[in-house]
Amino acid sequence: MSLPSSFDPSWPEPLARREFLRQLALAGAATLSMGAPRLLADEKPAAPAATADACILIWLAGGMAAPETFDPKRYAPYEKGMSYERVLSTFPAIPTSVDGVRICQGLESIAQVMDRGTLIRSAVQPDLGSILHSRHQFHWHTGYVPPQTVACPHIGAWMARVLGPRNPVMPAFINIGQRLEGIGESEELKSFTTAGFFGGEFGPMNLPFPEEAAAAVRPPKGMDAGRFVNRDRAFRRLVDAGPDRDLLSDHHQQSMLRSMDNAYRLLSAKERAAFDISLEAKEVQQAYDTGRFGRGCLLARRLVENGARFVEVTTEYVPFFQWDTHGKGHETVAKMHAQIDRPIARLIRDLEARGLLDRTLVVIASEFSRDAMIEGRPGSTAKDQSFNKSSIMTSPDHYGLHRHFTGGTSVVMFGGGVKKGHVYGATADERPLVAVKDPVSISDMHATIFRAMGISPKTAYDVEGRPFYATLDGKGVPIPIFG
Amino acid sequence: MRRTLILVSLASLPGFASAVDFAHEVVPVLRKHCGECHTGDKKKGGFSMNTRAAFLEGGENGAVLVPGSADRSKLLEVVTTEDADLRMPPKGERLSPAEVSVLRAWVAAGAAWTEGFAFKQPAYEAPLRPRRPELPPVQGGRAHPIDRVLDAWTSARRMPSPAPASDAAFLRRAHLDLIGLLPTDAEAAAFAADQRPDKRARLVDSLLARDIDYADHWMVFWNDLLRNDYAGTGYIDGGRKQISVWLYESLLSNKPYDQFTRELVAPSAASEGFAKGIVWRGAVSAGQVPELQFSQSVSQTFLGINMKCASCHDSFVDRWKLRDAYGLAAIFADRKMELVRCDIPTGKPAAAAWPYPELGQVDGSKPRAERLAQLAALVTHPENGRFQRTIVNRLWHRLMGRGIVHPTDAMDTPPWNADLLDVLANRLVETKYDLKATLRFIATSAAYQARAEILERGADDKAYAYRGPRAKRLTAEQFVDAVWRLTGTTPAKIEPQVPRVAPRAPSAENSGPEALLARPVWSDDLAGGRVPAVGEARAFRRQVKLAAEVESAHCVVTCDNAFVLYVNGRKIGEGSDWEDPQSYDLAEFLVKGANQITVVGRNLGDAPNPAGLYFQMNVRLKGGERLKVGTDAAWEWSASAPDARGVVAAKGKPAPVWKPVALLTGDPWRRAEARMAEMLAAGGTRALPARAGLVKSDLLQRSLGRPNREQIVSMRPNELSTLEAMDLANGQAMAGLLTAGAARLKQRAWASPEALARWLYLSALSREPAAKELAVAVGLLGPDLSEQGIADLLWAVCMLPEFQTIR
Repeated sequence: MSLPSSFDPSWPEPLARREFLRQLALAGAATLSMGAPRLLADEKPAAPAATADACILIWLAGGMAAPETFDPKRYAPYEKGMSYERVLSTFPAIPTSVDGVRICQGLESIAQVMDRGTLIRSAVQPDLGSILHSRHQFHWHTGYVPPQTVACPHIGAWMARVLGPRNPVMPAFINIGQRLEGIGESEELKSFTTAGFFGGEFGPMNLPFPEEAAAAVRPPKGMDAGRFVNRDRAFRRLVDAGPDRDLLSDHHQQSMLRSMDNAYRLLSAKERAAFDISLEAKEVQQAYDTGRFGRGCLLARRLVENGARFVEVTTEYVPFFQWDTHGKGHETVAKMHAQIDRPIARLIRDLEARGLLDRTLVVIASEFSRDAMIEGRPGSTAKDQSFNKSSIMTSPDHYGLHRHFTGGTSVVMFGGGVKKGHVYGATADERPLVAVKDPVSISDMHATIFRAMGISPKTAYDVEGRPFYATLDGKGVPIPIFG
Repeated sequence: MRRTLILVSLASLPGFASAVDFAHEVVPVLRKHCGECHTGDKKKGGFSMNTRAAFLEGGENGAVLVPGSADRSKLLEVVTTEDADLRMPPKGERLSPAEVSVLRAWVAAGAAWTEGFAFKQPAYEAPLRPRRPELPPVQGGRAHPIDRVLDAWTSARRMPSPAPASDAAFLRRAHLDLIGLLPTDAEAAAFAADQRPDKRARLVDSLLARDIDYADHWMVFWNDLLRNDYAGTGYIDGGRKQISVWLYESLLSNKPYDQFTRELVAPSAASEGFAKGIVWRGAVSAGQVPELQFSQSVSQTFLGINMKCASCHDSFVDRWKLRDAYGLAAIFADRKMELVRCDIPTGKPAAAAWPYPELGQVDGSKPRAERLAQLAALVTHPENGRFQRTIVNRLWHRLMGRGIVHPTDAMDTPPWNADLLDVLANRLVETKYDLKATLRFIATSAAYQARAEILERGADDKAYAYRGPRAKRLTAEQFVDAVWRLTGTTPAKIEPQVPRVAPRAPSAENSGPEALLARPVWSDDLAGGRVPAVGEARAFRRQVKLAAEVESAHCVVTCDNAFVLYVNGRKIGEGSDWEDPQSYDLAEFLVKGANQITVVGRNLGDAPNPAGLYFQMNVRLKGGERLKVGTDAAWEWSASAPDARGVVAAKGKPAPVWKPVALLTGDPWRRAEARMAEMLAAGGTRALPARAGLVKSDLLQRSLGRPNREQIVSMRPNELSTLEAMDLANGQAMAGLLTAGAARLKQRAWASPEALARWLYLSALSREPAAKELAVAVGLLGPDLSEQGIADLLWAVCMLPEFQTIR
């Protein structure tokens, strides 16, 4: 159900108070929040000129193996009894639209758009002494390793806090495809899917099921548009009819009403149509629809077209599913290829066709890579979590990269001012497949994303009387991948 | 030697024997090049030159200034060196040769300092010991000590005392602040009708006497402050331990706060979760190892000290140093610790010490348990005013909406009214650390009972001026509890296994008057470790002879996994969730003489697993005799299935064999046991309804600001965010509660739509609606009271700022 097109454009009812509230809303939500901006006298962050206005983070949660996707190495097909030592990649390499750059078989559509972006092959992470996906995801999303003494904001919350919404009715930070209840490690996921000390105003709007996103901006189930409008109108009348007139000017009460206004503004704005992927042409829906993730990419595109600032869309983290392959790696990754290949390529082409790609940074990333033999990084004492502890493969289920590897992985960036058809950094050609050229830490990766969005990595906010920086200690340095 | 002495003593006389003028030559150089990072409250590298004493103390890397010796003073070295890592200032313009020579001459001449000079006046130094301020005279007959202090404060500033709040506002405020629940419509009506002059004080007393409601409510505050939760990060790897049962029992019995604190600092197994902190899998930053978490948690919770900065390096923003953070950590540690600065070991050992040696010190050579006991004694030392002030300030904040020291964790910053803080702290001590008495002390003041302040925009940016209590937003838990109760949708199940029963009398050894006597039983064929099969069914029976007619009788029953209960051949009920015991009124099923209780228990699951049955009935006979019958060794079992009436007999089949049951240990079923004890205590017919603070956080509560408690939370955000407003406007969780509530309310016989609207206003806002409000409400309800109309009015009222705040 959607609100009828014939419906009264002046709704919600214009009360005298409303115009006042609207002006307050324009003044921005910044004053509501905890965490005042901090300018350190000796480190005034010079905001770089933004090369992007919006950011889409495509999050391939669970540990996307770079040698199975964007950094193919020596390929060996499965043979019963073969040693793990022979296997670096379980997929052969294919050419891309960039001369000399090859990625893995299964990503044929993405291969054709690689000339639109920069392929970073040297991202590195600490192994933290033991692999716990949600902990590494916390690190990747906030720039800080848990536990921390303050609640750390998600990178999307940073954008919401520093830049605010791009379109005032659109939530600045939208998170697509990740359930936060009823799955393993959900408490850990929640701990970074948050605005942290910035406060709820900058937190994510969570849309775990893209096909149900439209419901998030519609009246509740079973309530038609007329009733929804009527109910809000009655609420406003009750506010105005309250006996304590003095309290109408109370700042606290005003901010509460402003939030109600903001919420209703989205629920009645034309932009709410952006949440409804069923409004796309059937052909387009089919082109994206490889499953929930594919539909999420379509939703992300619609949201960015309508002014969203930061959108994350994920294949979803559920322990031992999706990219979290502890067994049957080859078979599972082939399925993951099929899930991501078409929608990502289509997303890039659609953004380009609409003239949005130049000002939209699309980032494809995961918490770390995988390897057939090494857990963590070479020399790590991290506990081996692979199902098959033997050094040889006796079943096709053993064929795959089943160990978590933090020594080098790939991140792809499209649009948003990054160089086109460019490769940055490299990993070794033989095991260990560590980054051997231009390693990029999480701090530097964040600095790079922030740089595109026009945010200094030294940006700091006060919490408990001390500065908290956009990148660890304000020391992240953008990598030179901008055109 | 002699010459040096003379030199120093001469040099310290300003303007004499020294060619350098401190005030006019030295100060400008220091201010220009060093002031930004090393004066005022800035202590980069742990070094301040704000006062001469601080200058002489040096920084993290040792002494900076050696009076009389420019060559041994690091000051001269760093301002002249070419080494980019050592040079000061680290960036920007160097000191000119002339400026360097001024400093060199000044140091060589003994570094004279103008008496009392500081670059900025020294930061506020919070008192440690208790203070006993004299109470100002009574004004206007307001004799409450809080009011005497505040009246003096307002009259000195020619400000008016805030006007009293209405009875209705006070009633709602006191209910929500003290027990977290809205007053019911009946309570609101009764309070309005009460004409006694002391009815407000009576209300405060009666609310604080509601032990279970009080404990339910204050669990939320303490869970936040002690970062205790029923689920959350750290539990995944066993890296976190709940203290819920200990905490609940402590609140239920209103444990004195000094004892409460000692049990957390030097914990037992039941309370150690707080001290142990959260342990993540893998490597952790040196500043977040469990020992330093202990240091931070004890400092923050009990002393309002932020030890987080100092856990990594000497704090830049306050007086706490790396060695202070490690001092507390070393008390807790059962290993030798080394000071680690920003994850780089310093080679210096950590020595057990607590931050206020004025009151005594922990003996680092003693075993851990003894060290912790010493620390607990020091934290709760009668002369430790800081400990007392910290908690009363928190309680004041909860009730009055703003701390006397604010934020409440920044106890090193000045209070807006030091006497007020000390009056409260002294009262805490006089009442032997009785938290309820302290709450009563605040709630019975005219200050608490005054009209809420009307906050201007930007009020938080200005210096605080007392104008009455500040409105507080309902916590997520208060909001959800309120909506549950208005809509009649309160669930029954709670998460922690806490005993929601009246606190036991000090002498009673048993766990309360309505103890669960029932033991878990199953068939006695469990020998040799046999585990009951899936689908295994057993009949259990007990004959009960009653000497008289039954006055009242109720029972609780549960079975892992399912049961059917029969009494005298009639089926009473069944259940299939062992965590959700059922309760029945049996009065009409029992007779004088012999009664047959039969329960069929069935084991379920995917594989053989333990099975157990509990049953207990409490009977009161006419004439007053009481009787309790629980599952125990007197029960019998049979493998034969009963018929539809629960009778295990068979025509034409061999007579069933009845054998004595086996008694099991109840450990796996503790959750059910706690629940059954609570149900029996509640009179058996109905379990106590849940409270939002006693269930796991869900999306709605999370959206409304319930934190995930990885960090200590002492103040929740007071603002409603846009996303929260959206969840309330169209989220399915809220909509579902309203729809269910409307269906229930529709069933009640309302005299008119006005009657429902008035009930809702009285229940939700503790007041009657004004005529205009009534008109809007009735318009929404419609003449025939549609469910939609009821749901929409419920929503509109719950969205009112008046509803969402305590004011």
